[in-house]
Amino acid sequence: MKRRTLPEVERKIGAFFSEHRRMPTYGEMLSLLGVRSKSVVDFWVKKLISRGLLEKDAKGFLRPLKKSFSLPLVGEVNAGFPSPAEEELRDILSLDEYLISHPESSFLLKVSGDSMVGEGIKPGDLVIVDRARQPKNGDVVVVEVDGQWTMKYFRKRGSEIILEAANPNYPPVKPRQEVKLGGVVTAVIRKYHL
Amino acid sequence: MGDLIFSIHSWPRAILHIDGDAFFTSCEEAIHPELRGKPLVTGGERGIVACASYAAKERGVERGVPLGEAKRRCPDLIVLPSDYETYSLFSRRLFNILRRFTPQVEEYSIDEAFADLTGLQRPLKASYEGICRQIKQTIYEELGITVSMGLSLTKVLAKVASKHKKPDGMTIIPGRAISAYLKNLPIEKVWGIGPATTAYLHKMGIFTALDFARLPEEVVKKRLTKPGVEIWRELRGESVNPVITEEKSTYASISKTKTFAPPTSSSDYLLAQLFRNLESACLKARDYHLSPRGLFLFLKTENFHLAGCELKLNRPSSYPLELSPLVRESFFKLYRPDTLYRATGVVLMDLFSCFPLQYSLFDEVTKAEKIRLLYEAADKINRRFGKHTLHLGVSHLLEVCGKGKRGEPTCREKTLLFGENRRQHLGLPLWHIEV
Repeated sequence: MKRRTLPEVERKIGAFFSEHRRMPTYGEMLSLLGVRSKSVVDFWVKKLISRGLLEKDAKGFLRPLKKSFSLPLVGEVNAGFPSPAEEELRDILSLDEYLISHPESSFLLKVSGDSMVGEGIKPGDLVIVDRARQPKNGDVVVVEVDGQWTMKYFRKRGSEIILEAANPNYPPVKPRQEVKLGGVVTAVIRKYHL
Repeated sequence: MGDLIFSIHSWPRAILHIDGDAFFTSCEEAIHPELRGKPLVTGGERGIVACASYAAKERGVERGVPLGEAKRRCPDLIVLPSDYETYSLFSRRLFNILRRFTPQVEEYSIDEAFADLTGLQRPLKASYEGICRQIKQTIYEELGITVSMGLSLTKVLAKVASKHKKPDGMTIIPGRAISAYLKNLPIEKVWGIGPATTAYLHKMGIFTALDFARLPEEVVKKRLTKPGVEIWRELRGESVNPVITEEKSTYASISKTKTFAPPTSSSDYLLAQLFRNLESACLKARDYHLSPRGLFLFLKTENFHLAGCELKLNRPSSYPLELSPLVRESFFKLYRPDTLYRATGVVLMDLFSCFPLQYSLFDEVTKAEKIRLLYEAADKINRRFGKHTLHLGVSHLLEVCGKGKRGEPTCREKTLLFGENRRQHLGLPLWHIEV
């Protein structure tokens, strides 16, 4: 008789959850885990709760926590060696998380001009702009200068701000009036194929 | 009289109510910088003003006014179709910002939330006022919209506070100051006091919130129902209603309605809208594993009259295919070809958890099972390719004539990014500027 392990139980419940989009009942977990008694089910549920993978809401219904079942689930591993894959998968970043460090203040912007081609930002590219970030020297920023929005390098010399394009066709701008900073470009996205 | 003290202790609880200022138009202004400060309304697709910007309000344009009338009052008014996709993204971000300060956040509506700040001064190293200021500033910096905030001892008082100064207001009502704020507040402005209670209280000679709060407990308990007594307690600074953090995990009823402009009498179009309502409602019901035992269908006429009927089901079902003959039949009972209609709606009532589903002896079990399996597959397809990818033939008309928004599509719908499709967009607000 094979021993049940915690990752295995978690995976089975996770698979149930991703298929049915709800948590299994204790009754359903009997067959899911291949056990005969609900007290055994309860034992595993309690273990998952103590590991912070599940929680019970105010009414006692089970609920997965974020760090458990949203992760990719690896298939059945029958080999005698413990699979390193399971351990490794814990630390995966989604592309969303990778590209967007501040999800509340990030906006998408579709580039239409060619002022930043030298930086590799072409018309049609998508950029992620963080509206709350303070620009540092050399950052690519989205600013409004004299009523016109533009994307430029941000350079600061003393108290003077210079906005520089990455395209020789556009001379550097020294704004006379106040510059209104829209945000700092934190990532560029270009998708080639569907 | 205004110096009556209800609570000696200033902050037995600290409840914050936060309310977006002209939320829909503020979101539009945040993604369209060129619209800032201009008279602006949303609701283009419904033919009435859904939300008016403060610049529009100054010109006499209010919520609920027909667009024609609004345009007359303010000829340079900018009318936008409602872009609920963007508003929901902003709404979610608003709640997430609040959650950075406290885990106890109640999402009350798309632009309103309650948050319990009790005891957070020390961990956040700031006074309650300081915390509120930080929240306000963060929302402005990150989302580019303003909110009005009210901080007080209870939810009812927090709502009084947030309404006290709008837009961009911040009102703090500590225990000692309660009566000063209630003194000039008409009773009908208090959250939860409706027209019937107002009329009743007026008969008792009670016109302000302070009059009400000063009533003796026996009188309140004798004359009012439980919710009324709770409001009375909350007005006196005694927190009765906690901030409810839980997301909704079940529903008593689910309703889906759709208003369209211009009003129409086309039975094909109305039927398509009604079936789309049905499909959307059933989809949500299946998501929560619920089935209705009753349905309510309605058509709203051009002059806001409701023609509706209630249907009882002999077996609960959340599958439009099973419900469709019944719905179609009832539609034609309600429908008058010479009337113009502005909205359709479906309410699934008497919902109950449907696992496991029990068929009765007289059901056509094979057919029902087939439909269940069909929808299991359809739901999979719709999750993969977007809502309503697979739909009933009746509602297909909407796909052809553009979702029933027979006016202008929203800006977001017009800018389809490479790799997106009509049903699936990236989950970040799109900023509409040319750079």
